[in-house]
Amino acid sequence: MTRSQPHSSPRATELGLIVLAALITTGAYILASFGTLASLPVNIGPFLVVILVLLLAAHIATRRLAPNSDRVLLPLAGLLNGIGYVIIARLDDSLAGLQATWTAVGVGAYILTLLIVRRTRDLERYRYTFMLIGVGLLLMPLLPVIGRNINGARIWVRVGPLSFQPGEPAKIALALFFASYLVEKRELLGKAARHLGPIALPKLRHLGPVILAWGASLVVMMAERDLGSSLLFFTFFVVMLWVATERASYLMIGSLLFSAGAVVAWQTFSHVQVRVSMWLNPWQGISQSVPQIAEATFAMAWGGIAGTGLGLGQPQRIPASETDFIFAAIGEELGLLGTTAMLVAFILMVGGGLRIALRARTPFDKLLATGLTAIMGFQAFIIIGGVIRLVPLTGITLPFVSYGGSSLVANYVLLALLMRISHAANSEDELHDSDGMGGLNPVVTGFEASS
Amino acid sequence: MNGQIRKLGIVMLVIYSALFIQLNMVQLIKADEYSANPANRREILRDFGKPRGQILAADGTVIARSVPDGGSFPFRREYPMGDLFAHIAGYYSFSFGSEGIERFYNDDLAGRTGKVTVDGIANLLVDEERTADVTLTISPAVQQVAKDALGTKRGSVVAIDPRTGALLALWSYPSFDPNAVSVNDQEAASKTRTALLANPANPMLAHAYRETYFPGSTFKVVTAAAGLSADKITPTEPAYPESQTYVPPLTKIPIRNFNNSTCGGTLFPILQVSCNTAFAQMGVDIGADTLVTTTQAFGFGEVPPIDLPNATASTIADVESFDRNTPVLAQTAIGQNAVRATPLQMALVAGAIGNAGVAMTPHVMSEIRNNDAQVIDRYEPRPWLKAIEPDVATILRDAMINVVERGTATRLAVPGVPTAGKTGTAQIGNGLSHAWIIGFAPADAPRVAIAVILEGQEGASEQTGGRVAAPIGRTVLTAALAATQ
Repeated sequence: MTRSQPHSSPRATELGLIVLAALITTGAYILASFGTLASLPVNIGPFLVVILVLLLAAHIATRRLAPNSDRVLLPLAGLLNGIGYVIIARLDDSLAGLQATWTAVGVGAYILTLLIVRRTRDLERYRYTFMLIGVGLLLMPLLPVIGRNINGARIWVRVGPLSFQPGEPAKIALALFFASYLVEKRELLGKAARHLGPIALPKLRHLGPVILAWGASLVVMMAERDLGSSLLFFTFFVVMLWVATERASYLMIGSLLFSAGAVVAWQTFSHVQVRVSMWLNPWQGISQSVPQIAEATFAMAWGGIAGTGLGLGQPQRIPASETDFIFAAIGEELGLLGTTAMLVAFILMVGGGLRIALRARTPFDKLLATGLTAIMGFQAFIIIGGVIRLVPLTGITLPFVSYGGSSLVANYVLLALLMRISHAANSEDELHDSDGMGGLNPVVTGFEASS
Repeated sequence: MNGQIRKLGIVMLVIYSALFIQLNMVQLIKADEYSANPANRREILRDFGKPRGQILAADGTVIARSVPDGGSFPFRREYPMGDLFAHIAGYYSFSFGSEGIERFYNDDLAGRTGKVTVDGIANLLVDEERTADVTLTISPAVQQVAKDALGTKRGSVVAIDPRTGALLALWSYPSFDPNAVSVNDQEAASKTRTALLANPANPMLAHAYRETYFPGSTFKVVTAAAGLSADKITPTEPAYPESQTYVPPLTKIPIRNFNNSTCGGTLFPILQVSCNTAFAQMGVDIGADTLVTTTQAFGFGEVPPIDLPNATASTIADVESFDRNTPVLAQTAIGQNAVRATPLQMALVAGAIGNAGVAMTPHVMSEIRNNDAQVIDRYEPRPWLKAIEPDVATILRDAMINVVERGTATRLAVPGVPTAGKTGTAQIGNGLSHAWIIGFAPADAPRVAIAVILEGQEGASEQTGGRVAAPIGRTVLTAALAATQ
């Protein structure tokens, strides 16, 4: 099984990729500075140091705490984070410092998560705590005094000088809860009550959790006007239910419930109607004011294949170009090549996450890895698809790329959990290998020789 | 569970592929359509972020160039010649768009035409702005002579090479300083523009090709051309009666000659003294159909295909409106009432007569060069209209030479050069009139045709055109002839 040389351990590969990500980011940073100011950035030295220190800190922590984990996820996250930072810094100097701080906090959260969560099965015990935390966080913006309405969506909480979006950590807490809950109940939920042709329908009372999740996501949508989170929340829950029970009927029931919810929402809420009509016809009323989605389309079209070059476009014309619409800013300045690279980075991350899920040894790990990956993958799809008008726009952050502390920290925690599961799965392989039971899993990646 | 996870992977691949396809739609396939959307301000902002090509006079003098600016945009347009070329080069303003050459040849100046960019692809990796310079047919010397000759009288001077249609001078007074409306300080530019628009003389309007006037007696050459073309008159027939007045059918109000003089006779003598009574009768005799047909053959009723934006068509009423309205037909035949012409159009009439009946397409661009000074576009002279037959043109030319030699247009004569011309005085009431002169020289093989109008001159005698307009015409003819040797 020596498919690779001893020195190409996953951590060595990771280190190489991290250096590459740091170089790409630094190169982009320099180009952006040349584009906007026609000069070398004054803080280029500190910038390179900070980005290397942050990524190396995460790398060393991984080396110490989860040495056998996946090798590409961390560099990919670093690259996405870096490109996002460059765009944010290019758009708004004052946000750059904050985003750098949040990146540091995110990396800290990543290390802390790896430190605290040594075995994922420890997490299974706290499932109802996670449920309470998740639901609590989700509903937190509805509280008086601390809840905040920003841009029509009530998804912010402000305590003292700090404001954050509790919906971001809530997703992770809920993923943890669903994974442990579904692992326990999957036998029960998987039992068919009756067959309708080839479709096995579950017992009505087992639909309880689905209905509950559906209701909760509707509440989020109605009360907080947060279409994106609501859609994401429901989608990843149904996906987890399907993976856990291996019953396609849950997908169908989920889709039906979703469609019903969508129709009702469209009929009931004007803001949903606005989103749909903007999706179908973004050009209406353009002579008075250019709608956000049309401005984003202009930006991406202007970028064309190769983009205007960093710092040479006009992405500041797009409203919310640092957050929800950052993908359009990337499309303008880096072109189709840049946006395609972003898509590839995300699909690689999704692939890495699902590979971890496939290799995970316990059902809980499998389900958790699937859920976390689904969150990241669908979230990126929902916002990119919204920005490029493949689907109606629902405001949500682009993982690792958009400006925003809550999102960045939550995604680094999500990444740490995936790395933890990955390490556990590969470590068991190692164990089996040394027991002479290698080859159980054909997807082993070649670090065995080093052990 | 692994089966579901793999299926989830496939689903993810599918939806990300959908994203990729849609990205190609937005950034590649429909990109041009989105970029051309009028609500998309990117193009204009981009254009203001980089230098444009220059506009150069025929002798290479810089008419318009981009200079670095400390204001809201990196560059602004500078017009070193001030108001001299304002109605030709136009202006390029962020707040008010663009005018003139700046507008008509914007794609070249901004480096956006096929020829500029195809050439530019090889230079993609070189950091160089690919724009093109537009060279005009007009030289500052002739243009300056036209400006000085007209002085501070409201009016226009047009000089054109009848063989090619190349304009040699295109001046209207008052003009304006395009620098003032092109400054990046939008407030200042707006203030200037408001003041210019409030000026009753309307300095921003290029009167030479955008304003129409009664052509007065200069139109008699068109009336004569109509009669000759339809074989209804010849140089010898008919001889119109010597008379002080002519009373068209269906009215009792007579048409009079200037100063109530008496005139009449065949074509040459009546053109020589610009005999109103004879030409009014000629118009009625040949009929509206004949008059309108020939007038339109000279380009009336059609926007001249000049390479400047928003040129105005000269007009003549349609045949039906003259039905049973011989008084109007008679007045139209002497250039009043139902006919209006731009100074450019009257220069084209003179040019067509000088050029054996063919009006060439008027133009101000001579060539366009890229950054490497290679010519990427050159204006190929092309006919616009065949107005009259060559034999008709020859008769009219001789009649117009006679006008300069013995008639009202003696002041147009260029010393040593056979000159053809016709004066005009279009009465506009209150004892005021527009003084006109049209002409060309050398008469046998003209290199220059001109039209001059002075608006609202005191006096209403036929001498007005010959007295005030003809000397200006001669000065410009002389200068333009010297420039086209």
